Amino acid sequence: MARPARVLLVEDTPTQAEIARAYLADQSHELRVAETAAEGLRIAQDWAPDAILIDVELPDFDGFALMRRLKEAEVAAIMIVITAQGSVNTAVTAMREGALDFIVKPYAKARLTVTLANALEQRRLSVELAEARAIISRDRYFGFIGGSPAMQAVYRTIQDVAASRANVFITGESGTGKELAAEAIHRASPRAKKPFVPLNCGAIPATLIESEVFGHKRGAFTGATEDRPGAARSADGGTLFLDEIGEMPPDMQVKLLRFVQTGTVLPVGSSKGERVDVRVVSATNRDPLAEVEAGRFREDLYYRLYVVPIHLPPLRERGEDVLLIARHFLNVYGREEHSHFRGFAPDAEAVLLGSPWPGNVRQLQNVVRNLVVRHDATLATAAMLPAELLRAARPVAVPSAQPRAEPSGRAGSEAMVMAPPSPPPSPALATAAGDPLATIAAALSALVSARAAPAPVPQVVLQPEPLPEASPRAAPEMRGPILPLWQVEKEHILAALDECGQDVPRAAALLEINPSTIYRKLQGWRV
Amino acid sequence: MTPALDPETIGGLARDLAPSDFIRIVRTFETDLSRLVLLMVEQATSGDIEQYRRSAHALAGAAGAIGATRLAADARLAMDPKTTTPPRELLLQIGAEARQVLVELADWASNPTER
Repeated sequence: MARPARVLLVEDTPTQAEIARAYLADQSHELRVAETAAEGLRIAQDWAPDAILIDVELPDFDGFALMRRLKEAEVAAIMIVITAQGSVNTAVTAMREGALDFIVKPYAKARLTVTLANALEQRRLSVELAEARAIISRDRYFGFIGGSPAMQAVYRTIQDVAASRANVFITGESGTGKELAAEAIHRASPRAKKPFVPLNCGAIPATLIESEVFGHKRGAFTGATEDRPGAARSADGGTLFLDEIGEMPPDMQVKLLRFVQTGTVLPVGSSKGERVDVRVVSATNRDPLAEVEAGRFREDLYYRLYVVPIHLPPLRERGEDVLLIARHFLNVYGREEHSHFRGFAPDAEAVLLGSPWPGNVRQLQNVVRNLVVRHDATLATAAMLPAELLRAARPVAVPSAQPRAEPSGRAGSEAMVMAPPSPPPSPALATAAGDPLATIAAALSALVSARAAPAPVPQVVLQPEPLPEASPRAAPEMRGPILPLWQVEKEHILAALDECGQDVPRAAALLEINPSTIYRKLQGWRV
Repeated sequence: MTPALDPETIGGLARDLAPSDFIRIVRTFETDLSRLVLLMVEQATSGDIEQYRRSAHALAGAAGAIGATRLAADARLAMDPKTTTPPRELLLQIGAEARQVLVELADWASNPTER
């Protein structure tokens, strides 16, 4: 507890209250006194004391009843009972009602101060424990969203290193939040009130990077019309974040090494160095050791910067964080676009969970933004997601999904929702997989090929796996004469609907047509 | 006659507290004592026994806190529903004891540290 401890005394006799006040005067606590139980309850709720000293006999209701009400009101303070009755019964009742200790009147100063100190220490420990638990179970940390074990490890590392001056090296795929991590390190550190200066080394021409990092003197080169401090000096007292450090030219790596070793900035055109107090956080989406081994990155600089490594996991390894982040973006963009989205339907969640997200959070952000701009509904469904996402998604389990999607009709809170499978890249692959849906897709693909080149009839797809009896409307049989297109289309659409549990939007998404097309055709076929 | 104030309790207050704090507590008790005794007289006269006992309880607490043990015992007797002593008689007893307490307190307040 950095602030003075708050102590509430509930005592109706002025003499007693004055004695307690005088005893605690040199304890640097904040003390408030309530003369009735009701007043004590009100102050406890409004003021959030750390400890409450409660007289048993109060004018409105007794101290034990007050303790019960405090617990009901979820007041987290430590409670100490003060009583004139030093009997075992009173002590037992006090403890049963949740008191940590009790003091018998009249009491000496030491009795009160020691009891209170013990209570406040216990309170401090329980607050710390609660904070530690919150850290372990948190699903947000500075700018990050996500509570997956992989991210909890990242949060813990950031928390651990924040207070130190050690240089940090962040690795991770593009879009995993490397700058967010660097900023979190800065904001969690004692440097938080000093500048955080990010610099993307990959975005600065090689000829300008030295000036950007270390600044320059007026006249140092053509166009240097005035002194410029540079990022390192601007970050004095704070944090310098060098993103894409692997892109830094070799000669600049030497200068950066000198800066990291000496803490001295030498602006371009100056012969006089200037000491600065800067913590360096670097990041790259490459494997830094491989860059060293390939000779593209100096080994000595690598070891200077790679003091505390933090690896940011790709989104595909973060489990249900995908949904937390997607919901966050849906809320943010939904508000911006005045849409009515309240969440994702289970089929959409299955796709989000099953997608490989090569572009990580940035890609997810774009997908949700695109969805909000192009659609409006209460629930965002799979049909609203980009077709390439539907194709790339693998089947995943979604907690609390609709029972209709359960594979065996088994009731339960977690059901398997099948995200649309990847379409086979070739008919041969499709037939080899033995997947009825893939077989259908292969057959259609072959049919399209056949239409484009009518003769000879493609032989490559004429060996589909026998379709299971459970799927009466399966792929068109290609062994015999070519069927009319309308018939193939009908059978294909009906088969797709069967596969999707008659979910028209989902089938439409897989077929890459508008749901209204299916409805119109169903009406036409009177199905 | 034995002292009205328990030397250990009142002495502990004098020892633990700054003289100014000690004197403030003595003044607070004096105010409490006169207010509560007056209330008890009024409540006993009007027959409001519940409030009379409530005031007696407050007096017992205040008296106990400064070590006025006999006064605290008299007040506890007044707050006990099983007491057979009439309120008038108890109040006279409390009044006499209160006078003795005030005399001794004045003595303590005049020189709290040198005892």
